[in-house]
Amino acid sequence: MIKTYNQMQNTLKSANMKNWNKSVELGNRIDFRNSPLENPGQVDGGKTFGEFLTDSISKVNDMQHQANVSMEKLASGESKNLHETMLAVEKADIAFRTMNQVRSKVLDAYKEIMKMQV
Amino acid sequence: MNVNDKTLQALASGMKFREMRQEMISSNVANAETPGYKAKRLDFEKALARALDVDGQMGMKVEDGQHYDVGNGGFENLEPEVYEDPNGVVNESGNTVNREDEMARMAQNKIMYDALVQLTNKKLGMKKYILNSER
Amino acid sequence: MDLLKSMKISSSGLAANRKRIEAISSNIANAQTTRTAEGGPYRRKEVAFGSEPARDNFADVLEGEIDAHAQKVHATEVVSTNEPPILKYDPTHPDANADGYVAMPNINVMKEMADMISAQRAYEANISAINTSKSMAMKALEIGR
Repeated sequence: MIKTYNQMQNTLKSANMKNWNKSVELGNRIDFRNSPLENPGQVDGGKTFGEFLTDSISKVNDMQHQANVSMEKLASGESKNLHETMLAVEKADIAFRTMNQVRSKVLDAYKEIMKMQV
Repeated sequence: MNVNDKTLQALASGMKFREMRQEMISSNVANAETPGYKAKRLDFEKALARALDVDGQMGMKVEDGQHYDVGNGGFENLEPEVYEDPNGVVNESGNTVNREDEMARMAQNKIMYDALVQLTNKKLGMKKYILNSER
Repeated sequence: MDLLKSMKISSSGLAANRKRIEAISSNIANAQTTRTAEGGPYRRKEVAFGSEPARDNFADVLEGEIDAHAQKVHATEVVSTNEPPILKYDPTHPDANADGYVAMPNINVMKEMADMISAQRAYEANISAINTSKSMAMKALEIGR
């Protein structure tokens, strides 16, 4: 699923550079070359949406792993922090369910786009 | 996602040992007035922590390729340690059971047991959730 | 299996304490009894506790180490103590002997009451242990629901 999204994003990126520059040649009225919009995929301080998604997924994975570790520690009696374990497990659970919803929404969006007639 | 992953095994082992501990505590409470009876304790924390080896700190490494790997024993043959409480105060009939102490231990054991059951439910529920969300 | 065994152990504690309360009630009721079937005043009854391994049958023995440690309790016997009766001076009493002394049972009702409260607490503690074991077993039934 990540690969598909990266592909989508790369297509979008490559499509828009030429158009902005063209308007510059059209009359020098609006100079888009040096504006931040030149590379619209990187507005947010250097991160693309694809990278954002990858980071989020790895964060969810980390939270799951964290929850697993804290459960194991609780079972063996190493940690006495019952509330922390419960919180960590709940957080991981919510994060996972959220990610699942995001996955569904992205898939829906992809299907929508694929349905578009060019 | 492994159906029987390490965490589930850890939780199941924890539950089994807590049941054994409950048996020991029941024995202590029932024998609180028996002359000469010494309170018994059951320890499983060390054995379970070693089997889990959460931080990778406790395993034994093999130095030579031809040495047999000791491994961590897995969860099947974990044995708890049963011993008589050395800190027991002996009363005049030779009994060391402190009933309030035993009740406190029982309450704590029960709470941890309930927590383990709840966590097991949570993990199994997560797996079922994944199975149920089609698409 | 472990939890069922726990309940058996706790129920043995209940039975033992119940016997103890029976003995104490008998003592309190007969604190003034000077005439018994065996002759002489009533003798104070006492219950001795003994612990025994919580194994019922061979299948339990095969089951493993843990059974060697968990102990049931049982009230071994109800004994009449051999404490000497108290001699009280009361010539008008029907059981007075030639010197006017009546042999009264050596029962201190206050002590018996204290023992009774202690036995009651022990009984309640065993009930609590049974409830905990039962509750743990029911919780285990709910896994996966």
